Amino acid sequence: MPKAIKPVIVILLAVAVAAGAAVFLSRQPDQPVPSSAAAPLPANIKTGGHFRGPGNAELTLVEFGDYQCPSCAAYHPFVKEILNRYPNQVRLEFHHFPLISIHPNSMAASKAAEAAGEQGHYWEMHDALFEYQRQWADSPDPKPVFAAIANRIGINGTILVQTMDSPALQQRILKDVEQGDQAKIQAVPTFFIKGQQVYLKASIEDFVQVVEANLHK
Amino acid sequence: MKLRPILIAILAFIGMIDALFLSIKRNAGPIPCHVTHGCTDVLTSKYSVVAGIPLSWLGLAFYVTVFSLAIFSVFDDPKNDSELPLRAIFYFSGVGLIISALLVGIQAFILKAFCEYCLLSAALVLSIFLLSPHQVRHTVPQ
Repeated sequence: MPKAIKPVIVILLAVAVAAGAAVFLSRQPDQPVPSSAAAPLPANIKTGGHFRGPGNAELTLVEFGDYQCPSCAAYHPFVKEILNRYPNQVRLEFHHFPLISIHPNSMAASKAAEAAGEQGHYWEMHDALFEYQRQWADSPDPKPVFAAIANRIGINGTILVQTMDSPALQQRILKDVEQGDQAKIQAVPTFFIKGQQVYLKASIEDFVQVVEANLHK
Repeated sequence: MKLRPILIAILAFIGMIDALFLSIKRNAGPIPCHVTHGCTDVLTSKYSVVAGIPLSWLGLAFYVTVFSLAIFSVFDDPKNDSELPLRAIFYFSGVGLIISALLVGIQAFILKAFCEYCLLSAALVLSIFLLSPHQVRHTVPQ
């Protein structure tokens, strides 16, 4: 047997074992201990939040999100695609959950979305904030960027920035945060369906699978 | 007994599992941390990809290479006692250490979020680097 065969066999075996171990670990529940998993949504979750889709939709996908969170932006197209695929059956309920300790502009972004909502364009700004996240996420002063984005999508940017300072908007956002805290949310985005947290992969196939499993249930 | 290459191989094996795990989890939903805070943010940030290639894949290539070199060193004929695999690990892990330091810096100062799996990888690279030079230093060139 050639001398090089032994190490090659060991290397191949090790790679195979490592792959098996990684697959096994990746299939374990994300939360290390049950107590740290997101709790069922509190009964008063019906207060607050923004709704997108028909009021009589069979399924409501509740999302707690942070506009500055890269993974929220990554999930956003799949959420929109689900709403497009199930226009009469699914609606989105979005709650702010800005992680201000790691995303310094997230609260301002939530305020910008709320301020756009005051002009009747919440969802347009919601989409734009995720779509243009890289333009404002690292900005030391994101307000001018929010104004520019607002102008680009047909919202008055000057009024939007002025409205952002309204204490009422902040209260609305903090109410969402309070609900997220009650639900023990640990990561964003976190999704709930029928009061229970659902783990969604960032793929349209997984979203469809989860939605189909919960429709007509 | 060739203790150093065996230890390096064990560390690289752990690194392989870590990198493979991250490659699988990267697009599989939020990744809550157990020790640190912000795993998903780090792993989905713009710094997690270089030229379209996820860093976890590059990490995997690094660990497979180091593991292979270490195993070849373990199986090397004692009469030959070639320094080449360990020397390669030394330089290779040196580059890895610089990249790891940069990535830890990005987590600390730019993202302000830490990924425990990435920190584990940085610790593994540091350990591999510290284990590799001893034998290189003590090998007399033929």
